[in-house]
Amino acid sequence: MPEFDSRKVARIHEHLHSHLPSDSALRIKALETLLVEKQLVDSRTIDAWIEAYTEEIGPKRGAKVVARAWTDPDFKHRLMADAPAAIDELGYLGSATAHLKVVENTNNIHNLVVCTLCSCYPFSILGVAPAWYKAAAYRSRAVRDPHGVLAEFGVNLDDNFEIRVWDSTAELRYLVLPQRPAGSKEMNEEELAGLVTRNSMIGTDRDLSADAGSKK
Amino acid sequence: MDGIHDIGGKQGYGPIAVDEPEVPFHHDWEAREWGISRTARVPGINIDWWRHCRELIMPEDYLSRPYFDSWAQTDFATYINAGLISLEEIISGEVTSDQFKNDVSPPVLTCDQAIQKDHDSARRFDTEVESDPLFTIGQKVVTSSHGHSHHTRLPQYARGRCGTVHDYHGAHVFPDLSSQGEKTWQHLYSIVFEGTELWAEDGGRNSRVYLDLWESYLEAE
Repeated sequence: MPEFDSRKVARIHEHLHSHLPSDSALRIKALETLLVEKQLVDSRTIDAWIEAYTEEIGPKRGAKVVARAWTDPDFKHRLMADAPAAIDELGYLGSATAHLKVVENTNNIHNLVVCTLCSCYPFSILGVAPAWYKAAAYRSRAVRDPHGVLAEFGVNLDDNFEIRVWDSTAELRYLVLPQRPAGSKEMNEEELAGLVTRNSMIGTDRDLSADAGSKK
Repeated sequence: MDGIHDIGGKQGYGPIAVDEPEVPFHHDWEAREWGISRTARVPGINIDWWRHCRELIMPEDYLSRPYFDSWAQTDFATYINAGLISLEEIISGEVTSDQFKNDVSPPVLTCDQAIQKDHDSARRFDTEVESDPLFTIGQKVVTSSHGHSHHTRLPQYARGRCGTVHDYHGAHVFPDLSSQGEKTWQHLYSIVFEGTELWAEDGGRNSRVYLDLWESYLEAE
């Protein structure tokens, strides 16, 4: 099966290493130009996908899921039991979330999500992953030194905390359900969603109380 | 494959860029590559083979090129491998007449249609199989000591280690064979490892690492 020949692809990469321009913008421009000329894609469709992931599909979706889980115990129950079905109640099922699992922070458990082998991420509820999530520094250390990684993000946990690191090695994707902050009792779902940070749903943020930002 | 991508537990990669601005794209070309990845990968390519083709990027490029740049390089490589783009076309930037060209115009999506398509792209990788899972929740297992030279999802840091079955996910497409063009399914488990089992310096630090691992990576302890 020549189409699955690793050695052939390794040789192709060697050629690309020698022949592609160094500038990333020029590389991607060359790729798009060839794909358009070969009628494999229309640039307007690329525009549409960029707009979709800039305006609609992003961490505000995940924040809404979290806020609903905080305010609706039945929804939270469904979310913990069958996350893909629960997020689809909001229309948020999509790319890379058909096997979503939600893991919940408690007073003594903190969850952290990583993909050490590539960069797996629940796109349809968190959007495009941050660059640090895809970079070697985070991917290498999250499994080995989670306390140190969290401290770098300003999250200092003592040894009484159990840290659970989820390495996304299969097609399951993980969403951290952060704790509802103290003092948010009077807030409605929309206001609560405004407190939920992207990083808190990856696990690199923890305290979502209104004054937490100034402490960091 | 014991490649440069298998980076979990490696040391020396420096601090994390925690102050990165929270925007989906930092450069226009990142956005273009993201759009290409949503709609214009090699028709019919499977994710395991695509991931393996990214792992095959030369280590110096894998570590030094920006992330979305490595996606573009993987797209180039898979298109060349599939015979749809030639290296000569990439070098010249022009389509040569004797090379592949699609006969029909590609679809033009609106933003709303892209959002709908994203919703419709939710794809499951599990199936019903006749065999029963070998392991039960709570059972102690040990992972394989060795990898192999193809694509695999058992990271080096978790090889030959003792863990406990935390959960069972059903039978999922087995990436080690899917990446070689053979679609099979295997029971998939969430295995939890104590930090002290994985890392010598972890000591009393209270951490656990959960990995989703296929049955053939595991043996009963």
